[in-house]
Amino acid sequence: MRIRSEERTAYLAILPVGLLLVFFVYYPAISTFLLGLTDANPRVQGLEGSAHFIGLRNYVQTLGSGEFWASVWRTVLIVLMVLPLELVIGLAAAMILNEQFRGRAVLRTIAIVPWMLPPLVNGFMWSWILNGDYGALNGLLYQLHLITGYHHWLASPSAQLFWVAVAQVWTRFPFAMVVLLAALQSIPQDVVEAARVDGARPAQVFRSVTFPLLLPAFTVAMAVEFIVTFQIFDVIWSLTAGGAAGQVINPFTKAVMILNYEVVFRNLDLGLGSAVAYLILVLSMGVGYVFVRMLYERGA
Amino acid sequence: MTLSRFLRRTVFWLAAAALALWSLGPVYWIVVSSISTRIELYTVPYKHWIPQSPTLQNYIDVFTTGPKYRAGGFLPSATLLYSGVRNSVIEALLAAALLSLLASLAGYAFARLNFRGRSFLFFMMLLLVPLPIWVSLIALFQLMSVLGLIDTKLGLVLLFVAYGAPLYVWLMQTYIRATPRDIEEAALIDGASRFRALRTVVLPVALPGLVSVFLVAFLTVWNAFLIPLIFTNSENAQSLTVVLSLFIGQYEVAWEAMSAAAVVTMIPPVVMALFFQRYVVRGLALGAVQ
Repeated sequence: MRIRSEERTAYLAILPVGLLLVFFVYYPAISTFLLGLTDANPRVQGLEGSAHFIGLRNYVQTLGSGEFWASVWRTVLIVLMVLPLELVIGLAAAMILNEQFRGRAVLRTIAIVPWMLPPLVNGFMWSWILNGDYGALNGLLYQLHLITGYHHWLASPSAQLFWVAVAQVWTRFPFAMVVLLAALQSIPQDVVEAARVDGARPAQVFRSVTFPLLLPAFTVAMAVEFIVTFQIFDVIWSLTAGGAAGQVINPFTKAVMILNYEVVFRNLDLGLGSAVAYLILVLSMGVGYVFVRMLYERGA
Repeated sequence: MTLSRFLRRTVFWLAAAALALWSLGPVYWIVVSSISTRIELYTVPYKHWIPQSPTLQNYIDVFTTGPKYRAGGFLPSATLLYSGVRNSVIEALLAAALLSLLASLAGYAFARLNFRGRSFLFFMMLLLVPLPIWVSLIALFQLMSVLGLIDTKLGLVLLFVAYGAPLYVWLMQTYIRATPRDIEEAALIDGASRFRALRTVVLPVALPGLVSVFLVAFLTVWNAFLIPLIFTNSENAQSLTVVLSLFIGQYEVAWEAMSAAAVVTMIPPVVMALFFQRYVVRGLALGAVQ
């Protein structure tokens, strides 16, 4: 009798969340997948027209499309620039904050700010910094006599990708910092002391004691940041995409998510867009799966 | 020995200064831009790192006057900004409040109650934590259209709650699990219902967790761009980030005005960093994948 009322309470407590998840997440996720097996495109069929089942043709078309792979390649390039930069800066910041010094709390707060800001604003901020006519980077470098004239930093396609990566690193490094700092602080101090007493130099202590102990946290940070950066959207949108107000989207920084947006909301190619979305999911799922397992094992 | 110690300290302080400069430099520049006069800001070569005649005129302009900087619709920038601030505040507050409530209920059930299908349901929910909204977006758009929820604050709030729920339920569940069982059981023996025990005994103890859920949810909604970009199209529901993106739009960007608008957008996040760091950081770190 007791158990049954407890069960009723439990079902009542999870019902609202359950309904929301079924209705707004599971159902649309499944029907988007099904839509990916059709040629749905309101621009072709009209709003009232019906789509046809075409099997895996959208997937075949996407996997055979140069544009898709070009955007995957661009995204991978961004990830390849972001991950090492972010982890190095994050680690350096964590090691600084792991010391005892006056102003530590202040510095920690300052270093967390970029992460708190809306990524869209960060992209805007960097586009203003990099502005070729009046930007701060030009002003600063000119004043330091490092350049003799103002540069248009975002002029070339590869430069655009590079600065997208920089803005993304700026946005995300505090995450790596926080994760690595927590790991650093959980390293027992006597292990490090023992190595020091044995005559190891700081660099040696780091390489053979600290770093191996940091490795799990490093892996977590990398997995998360892989997924986050693979799905980069906001920062590109305001930094280089130039797609606001219905304008043409800049092709040079068209990462996978920007491509997907264009396919769906500009070309109205719903079937194809659904297939692209699921391909992006599959591409980043391996890493995501690991993350779920981790959460699950810690929570249940 | 003393020399090497001196060197180490110097390197350390240089590194610390570099970290501060790198983190704060861009924000500083935006703030300076927002309080500079047009003439100072557009000097070439630039040299007014500290504005000589600081002014609030850009803020006044952007919040009071006309179509100078607009790109979206044919509305003056002031109208757009006001509606953006209003919408963002309402949406973020509502979504955060709803998420706190629902996550407490479901989190309590998963943490403390025994019921059939518990692990299965928990797993089905966690499966959604790293799921990007992209994979349901297209059908979701159709669903929202049918329900008449496109370009409504209610629609956005429902989406933020639905897509945030898995993470926040999981978070609440860990906080509630950490509260001591015995006071709760004492309350139950005294005849309190489960819901009453949750409200009067469990939640007060798990309050830091609840605050953390509320603040992280608020910040996430405030910072969101993609969901409002897709599901809104007028000043009815457009959030502040979407309004900002419209300003970047066509033709010339008036950077000093944009900077003022951007600084306004940055206020709640900066307040979170300054005063509520310990509540926000963990939740934000765990929600990183979304």
